[in-house]
Amino acid sequence: MTSTNTNSQPVLEDISVIVAGQGGDGSLTVITMLADLFRNAGLNVYTERDVASRIRGGHAAATMRAFIGEKHCIGSHIDLLVALDEEAVEKKVHQISSNSIVVFDDSSGPLRSGLLPEGTKLYAAPFNRIAMRTMRRELYKNSIAFGIVGRLLGLEDEAMRQTFTKRFERRGQIILDYNIEALELGLHLADEMGIKRGEGKYRIEQTEPEEQILVMGNESIAFGFMAAGGRFFTGYPITPSTEVLETLQKWLPRCGGVARQTEDELAGINMAIGAALTGVRTMTATSGPGISLMQEGVGHAGSGEVPLVIVDCQRSGPSTGMPTKPEQSDLNIMVFGGHGDFPRIVLTPGHPDDCFYLAVDATNLADKYQCPVFIAMDQALSQNIASVKPFNLDEVKVVPGKRLTAEEVAELDTYKRYSFSEDGISAFAAPGTPGGMSLVTGNEHDEFGLVSTDPKNRVKMMDKRFHKIEEAKKELPKGRHFGEPDAPIGFIGIGMMYGVILDARIELEKRGYNTQYLQPRTLWPMLDETLEFIDRCERVYVIDLNAQGQIAHLLMHQGADSSKIISIRRYDGLPYRPGYLVNQIVEREEELNNNDKKEAKAQ
Amino acid sequence: MTTPPSTKTFTPARPIWCAGCGDFAVQGVLEKSLRNMGILPHKLMLLAGIGCSGTIQNNLKCYGYHALHGRVLPATIGAKLANPDLTVIAAGGDGDGFAIGAGHLVHTFKSNPSIMYILMNNSNYGLTKGQASPTSPIGYHGNAELGLDSMLLGLSFLSSTFLARGFSGNPEQLGRLMEAAIEHTESGKGFAFLEVLSPCVTYYDTHREWRAKVYNVDEDESFDPTSRAAAFQKVIELKEQGHIPIGRIFKGEHPSLESIIVNKEETLPAQQNIGHFNEHRKHYDQFIKAHLV
Ligand SMILES: Cc1ncc(C[n+]2csc(CCOP(=O)(O)OP(=O)(O)O)c2C)c(N)n1
Ligand code: SF4
Ligand SMILES: [Mg+2]
Repeated sequence: MTSTNTNSQPVLEDISVIVAGQGGDGSLTVITMLADLFRNAGLNVYTERDVASRIRGGHAAATMRAFIGEKHCIGSHIDLLVALDEEAVEKKVHQISSNSIVVFDDSSGPLRSGLLPEGTKLYAAPFNRIAMRTMRRELYKNSIAFGIVGRLLGLEDEAMRQTFTKRFERRGQIILDYNIEALELGLHLADEMGIKRGEGKYRIEQTEPEEQILVMGNESIAFGFMAAGGRFFTGYPITPSTEVLETLQKWLPRCGGVARQTEDELAGINMAIGAALTGVRTMTATSGPGISLMQEGVGHAGSGEVPLVIVDCQRSGPSTGMPTKPEQSDLNIMVFGGHGDFPRIVLTPGHPDDCFYLAVDATNLADKYQCPVFIAMDQALSQNIASVKPFNLDEVKVVPGKRLTAEEVAELDTYKRYSFSEDGISAFAAPGTPGGMSLVTGNEHDEFGLVSTDPKNRVKMMDKRFHKIEEAKKELPKGRHFGEPDAPIGFIGIGMMYGVILDARIELEKRGYNTQYLQPRTLWPMLDETLEFIDRCERVYVIDLNAQGQIAHLLMHQGADSSKIISIRRYDGLPYRPGYLVNQIVEREEELNNNDKKEAKAQ
Repeated sequence: MTTPPSTKTFTPARPIWCAGCGDFAVQGVLEKSLRNMGILPHKLMLLAGIGCSGTIQNNLKCYGYHALHGRVLPATIGAKLANPDLTVIAAGGDGDGFAIGAGHLVHTFKSNPSIMYILMNNSNYGLTKGQASPTSPIGYHGNAELGLDSMLLGLSFLSSTFLARGFSGNPEQLGRLMEAAIEHTESGKGFAFLEVLSPCVTYYDTHREWRAKVYNVDEDESFDPTSRAAAFQKVIELKEQGHIPIGRIFKGEHPSLESIIVNKEETLPAQQNIGHFNEHRKHYDQFIKAHLV
């Protein structure tokens, strides 16, 4: 069905919608259904959830951006706020303006006057009361509100009904009937409010939807690991990493793999290590507190040369911190953590699709270089859901590590598990291989794996292990660069900052700032390209989602010119919005400008 | 195919134990049991904890692994789940298994993987020079706490399937128990837990004391190791009388972990061909299809 309306509504090209209320209110369901409708209309979507770490209660919100083209974050401006209570308005009012529309549940009374910016269009109705009165269940208030929201956004009634059917069918006829009834009530309410069919605030130009998949970063990581031949996963549930475990528990057994929830993170990493000894490709995933617990195992894998992928879905720390809030404050522990010196690789994806390809790389690299490989995620990258092009499976290259078969062992004079070699990598025979018996240990050892404190051997072994990383540098995943290479202002940021910086650059360009951006995809070892990028720029804004400026310090530690680095740090737990970053940059740039002028005057 | 004599691998180390250490007997019995049971070196993974006991893997031909202190059980379970075709044995001390690794022991009783665990109990921390362990009696090294009994711990899990205690001073019985344990794991019946009283002659020589205190339930015709309740009662009674029960304490039945979570229709995780992308391509395509919108 096409719109019968021909008046002057703007075509919907880029819109951000928040649904906010209390945890358990079902904000996420509303957003998920909206995302589905927009996808069907040919738009792309990006969704974010903001929850307290409780099942019910506590403020909770879900946000969706629907757009044409490519975006990788939530927009700065919220066009439509669906507030299920007054607290929701209070919490989100800073993101709206007089151009925004607010749909408000006034079951507990009218919205306090003066709360909204002057001129904001408000649509209020007692959704909760209506739901209780007609259906005796509070939950249906969302479905009532949906009718109004859908109409405002220019969605077709019939399309809404279809999405409801698709969503609730599985839950049984009764639940479906109630929800459809609630939707009809909502549509009726919309009529009463004067939001007739085709007379919403926007017009959607239906296009043929491009084939896309809807995934969160954690699912992409799980899938990338699986596609790279990963067949063993152990981990302990922790927000925001749990979806990696859950996804693999669902999918890995089909491919003959094992995905198991362990009794704690110590078991998580050590079970993975035990499995890795048998030659299977292995991964574990965790977040802050869990990564602290795993440190002994990480160093052990480094010393014993055990291939292992470790996913750290970073959340706000220290300690239990703010479990559901994004942060990037475990970078130090990934790069420098664990006692003693050992090699490791840290990869930093920037979007759910990037997560897939880097998980493939991480799995190959761990196997090849026989060392711990971290994938540094953050809560937003882990759990925000984006529509992305279906992963290109034909592009996936699964490169087995150096293994010895029984025949190859038989051809050797002597087989040594830790034999010194050109590239520092020792081919090994997996248990079960005739003739390949060996010893693996975290203690310092000789080439056979026998414990040794011989000083010469010690130095040679240590150097062998570190040499692998020098070799790896030649092929570690390169970063993604955006902008002209001679732009004076540079950005460095990882994880969720990828989409935010890309968006901010567009706005900054409009305001006359010429910028370039490097998303390093290998954070450790630091690649030359990262330092060269800094050399090229006049100044570089290094965006750190942590209090200590961990990326900035890492760059300086690796030789970047510290006078060029402007460290931007944020650790309030709020997700970055492009507009916020733009303001920060403009402020700094103006400051710099003024200082220049002052200096010029003084001369 | 057997080991070609021409390829040299590591030469098993000479044990580093003090002369008279109970662990010698454990190693001797283990080697003999493996031979008797026909376990080939290349099919054997021997994973050990940290401690004097945790050096046993260096001393015989096998795929040996030296775990972190207290983490030998998770590592062993990981290896078994990844390749159930292997014989996978864990070994370690009482500090390793009952103190720092106690949580994992509890969960291994609970999950019942087909691995054998030889816990060499010397009631002290040998490697770090004699400190009290969770099985040390009151009075040892200023210890004020009653020691734990692993048989009672194991019995309290309705999922436990094999509980035995041997004594290094009685290698014949130890051999029988070990072979029964290997039989148990080789036939996929689950977790075979074998505690061995293995005196530390250097820091806490309990040899004579234990010889006097052990009570062999295998020789007690009235004892029925298939009754969990009877075993529980017997162990408590014997402890109260000042005895240490040894022998086959319990045998039961419960599905093994690997039989539950390893997909039998597919190639085992560790035996899959890494790099044969197309073998499971249909599941990858399915994943993408499931996420299409
Ligand atoms: C995490 C950690 N803490 C402490 C140690 C030091 N440590 C090594 S062995 C050991 C105790 C060994 O006792 P037990 O397991 O009974 O073995 P035994 O030497 O008696 O055979 C300790 C505390 C360690 N290696 N790792
Ligand atoms: S210190 Fe005790 S346990 Fe360790 S080797 Fe010597 S006798 Fe055995
Ligand atoms: Mg001990």
